[in-house]
Amino acid sequence: MLEVENLSVSYGPVKALSDVSLTVPPGRVTAVIGANGAGKSTLMRTLAGLVKPEEGRIRMNGQDITGWGPEEVVRTGIALVPEGRSTIPDLTVLENLRLGGMWRTGAQRTASENRVFSLFPILEERKHLGADTLSGGERQQLAIGRALMCGPQTLLLDEPSLGLAPLIVTQILHLVEKMARESGLAVLLVEQNATTALRVARTGIVLNLGRIVISGPASDVAADEQLRHAYLGY
Amino acid sequence: MRDRWTDFTLRAPGSRFAGHALLAFVIWILLARLNMIIDAQMSYYLALAAMYATAMFGMTILVGLSGQVSLGNGALMAVGGYVFALTSMHWKTVPILGLPWNAVWSMVFAGLGGIIIGLIIGALGARLRGPYLAGLTLGVAVGIPSIINRYPSLLGGEQGLKLIVPYPEGGYPEQVLSEDAQFDDSALDEFLVDESAVVQAPLEEAAPAEGDLLTLEDAQQGVAQEDLLTLEDAQQGVAQEDLLTLEDAQQGVQDMPTDAPISEATPELATDPSDAFTTASDFVLQQWQASVAIAVACIVGFLALNLVRGRQGRVWQAVRDDPVAAAVIGISPSGGKISAFVVSSMFAALSGAVFAQILTLAAPSAFGLGLSLSLLVGVVLGGRLSLIGAVIGALLIVWLPEWVDSLSAELGMPRQVADNAPNLLYGLLVVAVVLVAPRGIMGGVSGLMSKMRRSSAPPSSG
Amino acid sequence: MGSFLDYFLGGIANGAVIALMALALVLVWRSTRVVNFAQVGQAMFTSFIALTAVNITGSWLIGLIVGIIAGGILGFIVHVLVMRPVRRADASGAIIATFGVLIALQSLAAMIWTAEPRAYPTPIEYAGLTIFGRVVPLTGYDVFVFIVMIVLVLFLTILLTKTKLGLSMRASAFNPEVARLSGVRVSRMLAIGWIIAGMVGAVAGVLIAPISSLSPNTFDIFLVFAFTAAVIGGLDSLVGAVAFGIGTGLILSLVTGYSDASNAPIVALILLALNLWFKPDGAFSHHKARSV
Repeated sequence: MLEVENLSVSYGPVKALSDVSLTVPPGRVTAVIGANGAGKSTLMRTLAGLVKPEEGRIRMNGQDITGWGPEEVVRTGIALVPEGRSTIPDLTVLENLRLGGMWRTGAQRTASENRVFSLFPILEERKHLGADTLSGGERQQLAIGRALMCGPQTLLLDEPSLGLAPLIVTQILHLVEKMARESGLAVLLVEQNATTALRVARTGIVLNLGRIVISGPASDVAADEQLRHAYLGY
Repeated sequence: MRDRWTDFTLRAPGSRFAGHALLAFVIWILLARLNMIIDAQMSYYLALAAMYATAMFGMTILVGLSGQVSLGNGALMAVGGYVFALTSMHWKTVPILGLPWNAVWSMVFAGLGGIIIGLIIGALGARLRGPYLAGLTLGVAVGIPSIINRYPSLLGGEQGLKLIVPYPEGGYPEQVLSEDAQFDDSALDEFLVDESAVVQAPLEEAAPAEGDLLTLEDAQQGVAQEDLLTLEDAQQGVAQEDLLTLEDAQQGVQDMPTDAPISEATPELATDPSDAFTTASDFVLQQWQASVAIAVACIVGFLALNLVRGRQGRVWQAVRDDPVAAAVIGISPSGGKISAFVVSSMFAALSGAVFAQILTLAAPSAFGLGLSLSLLVGVVLGGRLSLIGAVIGALLIVWLPEWVDSLSAELGMPRQVADNAPNLLYGLLVVAVVLVAPRGIMGGVSGLMSKMRRSSAPPSSG
Repeated sequence: MGSFLDYFLGGIANGAVIALMALALVLVWRSTRVVNFAQVGQAMFTSFIALTAVNITGSWLIGLIVGIIAGGILGFIVHVLVMRPVRRADASGAIIATFGVLIALQSLAAMIWTAEPRAYPTPIEYAGLTIFGRVVPLTGYDVFVFIVMIVLVLFLTILLTKTKLGLSMRASAFNPEVARLSGVRVSRMLAIGWIIAGMVGAVAGVLIAPISSLSPNTFDIFLVFAFTAAVIGGLDSLVGAVAFGIGTGLILSLVTGYSDASNAPIVALILLALNLWFKPDGAFSHHKARSV
């Protein structure tokens, strides 16, 4: 299980995260919501090892992984689907998938590949095409598929709804939720689109200016109108 | 760096212009005076340093300010050198204007040639990103010498064009000489003596063959033959096919001992009219070359100062730092890049014209890739962003081989090692500077100074 | 027409060597987005090492192997000592640093082996082949060079497209962040890119040395030709580098045959300038050449 204690991150003089603590329990989706610039992406990038924290601890299954590089973090079972263009258009669909988890054994990789293809059949249909031929939704599926190829226990999803049609977003998020429920995957979902995110999440965490302002059952967070006005702006 | 520029722009432009003019003039006078009191060998080094500085002002603008890495500036110097050589050899009057030709016109046309070539290469290069531009200019550095080799009848092929030294009949205008000479009356006398000697002397005698020089010198000073491997040997050596690189020529010069008897001897000899034209023209040649090089360097430095510290300098930086943002505020990125190329190319051509006069030769081997690389080395070592850095770089390029040479002689290194040690040092220094102090020596100094200023200044509130 | 064919065939070996050198440039560009202008310097240096090995052992093949190993090591050293620390600095700095390495290698080579041009032996006889009863300017060695180039290109293509290492390298080049997030040790891949490029350059050097002779500066001209080929090929594309490398060799051979050898650099410059004028980013954008 991924545990975060008192995490602080700065970009030069700008404090992006201060004193963030949370856990990402298995078998469910934990949603982090907040306005633009709240520090959501910074949180994800720090957890994945792309950004070095200033203070605090990150633990995975009890092991301290604070300050590790992304290529090491991913080996502990944390896979990030980064925001935006996270597929490599110059590679084929299959190559994009096989890029994930290359350190794993052949059998594990085949199993993961089959699982990804059963989750996202469209990827199998197009596996020999260039990733640049895919639509936005298919690309997001491919990005999630690549992360799943790393055999994660914890999946970090950064703004999967970005630039996608609402229907596709709902489909993808429900699939992720189902995956978490059925296979015990821990999912940390970052979203600006709070309504959709809180609908699939069990726990909701609201981030504002780098601090956690509220954390609790997703339904409570969704129902808290005052909170919505104050931090989410709708 | 940026602060300093804004400081300057806050002043009235006229006072800035006058300040730069005064600065350039004072430096010119000081260097010209210096040129009169040092010996011939030091004058030669001074000439080389001023020549390099001229080209490196252009490199500072091109590589530092506008961020375009060019390897072609050595070849652009060739353009200046050949225009100078051709016009001074073939022109009796200035075309179109019909005025009587003199060497200043050749300099002007060398500069014009540089501008034209700079426009062409700049227009090609403005569309290119870093490595593509570096590759294109590399092609220029290799291509222009082979173009020169293509037309041996016009451009003298591998042998190059031998410049007539001092200058063809009716050639060099007296006022140019006397401008330098008026700082020192005795020097003026010497100039006059030399000039009369030179005008009488046929070309072959003005640039005597090695054998003649040896016997003459031997008789007078009884010095060892090795000591007589003087500048002229080196210069003539360039004409020979086997001396392929500029470095070779320079190394030949370095073989001369620092306390060369020739320089001590010359003042006395100059008064002796019978052999004045050989030894005295020796004496005067280096100083004369240096005075030309200094004058050109000061004029170019003055132009560069005004460009760098004026609006144009900020345009170049803006285009370098963010072409899109520059375009948004109405600066044409390609215009900025091309203008940097044109200016740098003009400076390179002027420097090349001076170089041809120092070598008394315009040959493709002198303007090869090695020269382009040494310009890059100098500007990187001195500091890519500052004109003072360019001067420091020029001094380093001239002084470093000398220093390494004496050091390797002291350590008793074999010839093969000693000959290549300066270049090895250049290469390593370039890498080290890029890694450790990307803004070069000057950048390091100004960084240190601003740090000191900051620590001594009272802490500002907020 | 006979002479056309002759000139054409005569360009094959040169073209193959230019192609290999261009390939080395492309490999480095793809892994670290740096044009390694020191590549010919590295090739020259390792060719000297290879020649030393040939002189000691008397075997051309051992020379080649020693050269390849030395090329890989030198590529690694240049990457770790120079390019990796410089990558965060400005783009101009990286270009300038490669020239610093070039100058240092050339003078070091002159220190160790002198600037005298040296002959390099060939594994097979360097004489014109007889085809249909007439001697053509194509030598057995030219054919050998061409075959070596083909084998090397095939090997590299398979390595890059069919292996996990190749996939990791390509991903590291295209998107280092996604590669790292997928568990690829990107800095290792960049180093491997430089090592392989150094090895390919070393092969090119050993192959060209018998034709051009070997001295610290004799390979300089190949830098221009190889850069021309690599740029026209798009800098990202192995296929482009090979195709235009051979093409450049053939064109230069025709130019040399019909006019004069000294025209070759000018023609290369014109080709480069024309290409950059119409296609400032190279003829092949890397999307078209995705698979290789």
